[in-house]
Amino acid sequence: MTKALLARVFTLLRLLCAVGLVAGMTFLYTRVVSVNNVTVALTFLLAVLAVATWWGLPEALAASVAGVLCFDYFFLPPIGNFTIADPQNWAALFAFVATALIVSELSTHARKQAVESTRRQRELEGLYTLSRNLLLLDSRAPLAQQIAQQVAQVFDLQGVAIFDRLTDRIYRAGPHDIPVEDSKLRDAALQGTVFEDATAKTIVMPINLGGPPIGSLGIQGTSISEAALQSSASLAAITLERAHVQEVATRAEAARQSEELKSTLLDALAHEFKTPLTPIKAAVTSMLSDGCSSPTHQELLHIINEEIDRLNTMLTEAIQMSRIEAGQVHLHRSPQSLSALAQSQLQRLAESLEGRKVTVEVPEDLPPVRVDPEFIGIVIWQLLNNAVRYTPPGSPLTLRARREGAEVVVSVADCGPGISEAEQQQIFQKFYRGKTHRERIPGTGVGLTIAQEIVRAHQGRIWVESQPGKGAKFSFSVPCAPREVSA
Amino acid sequence: MTSARILVVDDEPQIRRVMRTTLVSRGYVVNDARNGEDALEKLREERFDLVLLDMNMPGIGGMETCRIIRSQSDIPIVILSIRNAEKDKIEALDAGADDYVTKPFSMPELLARIRAALRRAPLASPGAREVFDLGRTVINFAARRVTVDGTEVRLTPKEFDLLRFLASNPEVAIPHAKLLQAVWGPDYGEEVEYLRVFINQLRKKIEPEPSHPEYLLTEPWVGYRFHLPGKD
Repeated sequence: MTKALLARVFTLLRLLCAVGLVAGMTFLYTRVVSVNNVTVALTFLLAVLAVATWWGLPEALAASVAGVLCFDYFFLPPIGNFTIADPQNWAALFAFVATALIVSELSTHARKQAVESTRRQRELEGLYTLSRNLLLLDSRAPLAQQIAQQVAQVFDLQGVAIFDRLTDRIYRAGPHDIPVEDSKLRDAALQGTVFEDATAKTIVMPINLGGPPIGSLGIQGTSISEAALQSSASLAAITLERAHVQEVATRAEAARQSEELKSTLLDALAHEFKTPLTPIKAAVTSMLSDGCSSPTHQELLHIINEEIDRLNTMLTEAIQMSRIEAGQVHLHRSPQSLSALAQSQLQRLAESLEGRKVTVEVPEDLPPVRVDPEFIGIVIWQLLNNAVRYTPPGSPLTLRARREGAEVVVSVADCGPGISEAEQQQIFQKFYRGKTHRERIPGTGVGLTIAQEIVRAHQGRIWVESQPGKGAKFSFSVPCAPREVSA
Repeated sequence: MTSARILVVDDEPQIRRVMRTTLVSRGYVVNDARNGEDALEKLREERFDLVLLDMNMPGIGGMETCRIIRSQSDIPIVILSIRNAEKDKIEALDAGADDYVTKPFSMPELLARIRAALRRAPLASPGAREVFDLGRTVINFAARRVTVDGTEVRLTPKEFDLLRFLASNPEVAIPHAKLLQAVWGPDYGEEVEYLRVFINQLRKKIEPEPSHPEYLLTEPWVGYRFHLPGKD
């Protein structure tokens, strides 16, 4: 308040000085030296010009008005009053007034432009310094804090605050604590709006780079234009964004490495387990095929053999899962006949069918599909194997394939106990095992996850339809092969 | 036939033990080697009818051992490996293996594979053409010799049997499964990748321009066809 009052007093003083200058000159010309009217008018104009250049338009106008009045009163006949006798003098007075006004307007304008360009130059220099300094920030300390400090320092601001949305923290810098609430900084970042408070001379604006704001910048002080503030916000955005991207990349790399290590370990472990399984399996199957032992021994040997197979399947699935998770699945896609793929998987499964009749419904004119035969074979096997494991011996299975637009949908339907809606959501998750069968039916719970990942890698979908008591139908879709391609 | 001599190459002593016991009980003569280098030396010293080769071994490893054996001999090679990815199988077949068995395997299956690898397709029936003069390539089935532009090329037994089966049924598209059963044995039929690899190797050996085959033609979705030039 006192500051505003002081400014008013100063303006008033300058106005008085301007008028005083004209009064002084009038005194000089009437009492000290005698000059003609042309000289008087020209020197008055000079004075107006000087006042306009030094101070500005209001002072120049005051000087102009004083000049007109003094010129008319003291120098244009009849001297001593404001009337003008000679019409020529009217013209002279009008010329004086017009010149004074134009001169004051022009010089004020020129002065303003000079001030403006100086200010712009300073800001540009500031922005340049800021961008250079932001490149050299210390990556170990909080970046937003350093950005705030740099903005405050470079633009000589009273206070700066930066809200970093990623870390959800507010950093303040500058000689004064800026009178902006944390909530306002957060709102600016969340809503992308600008808050301006003219009396407190604060402005808060979102920081963004095209996308949604990544934070907000608040400043207090008048020494910075809106454009420079925008540029500072953009520089801050670039700096923060770069740091975020770097951090995300570093984290992703670390996660990838750890995942890769895990997968490599699992892969190596599974292979190590398979090595001792090989002689056991060879020995047991050799004894079984000799057929020279008693029925009891034969039964016991069968048990060993089956459990080796089970262990082997678990290890194979663990290897597949670790490969899929490590992103090591490289598909070698080529046009394939689904009926051939299905037939070969059914042959693999033949031994464990235990009287379950499998109906295969694959139309003759089914187009070839563009898939990796090995991996899609795994998917078909997983679905068939699941159907066999979760249904009683003797119950029928159906394997269907049909064309749907540019895709072929393959489904395996069974007449087993079905899957409740709640469980349907979970069965594709890793290590999930059906609740009712968990105890009875062996498995690792990764089969459907593997199938899902493989189908996804083929840009297909996999889903289940089932009602408890009415069986389950697992389906997946894969794209058809383009027509002109042949094997 | 049952006195065939088999070399078992595996770095796992228990696998060598179980193989030796079983194979000897089936009448085979068995020797074993602990690694690739050992195997190559034994092959130089003794005559064998078949090699059972592990893939993952210290030293030069199974793949390289397979390549070296194949570059020196036509002996049937059956790979035993824990890896079951198709690319591993194709790589092994490309290196010259005749068959690929995934560990752990059942003994009856391996014995069937061994019999298939040892088996020679029966000689052509009397009256069948014994010499095919295709122009630049001449195939003499009676002498088991193939020459291209007068130079003899060496075919492995399986390659030769495959070529003979195709050539004795010229201009007929032979399905994959039929080819596999005729050349490898009745237990085969699914191993389409075997045919891809062997046909490729045959094309490289007997076709004047392997990338544009004249004799060994692919029948999309079906199998392969032997084409006699000049019958267009």
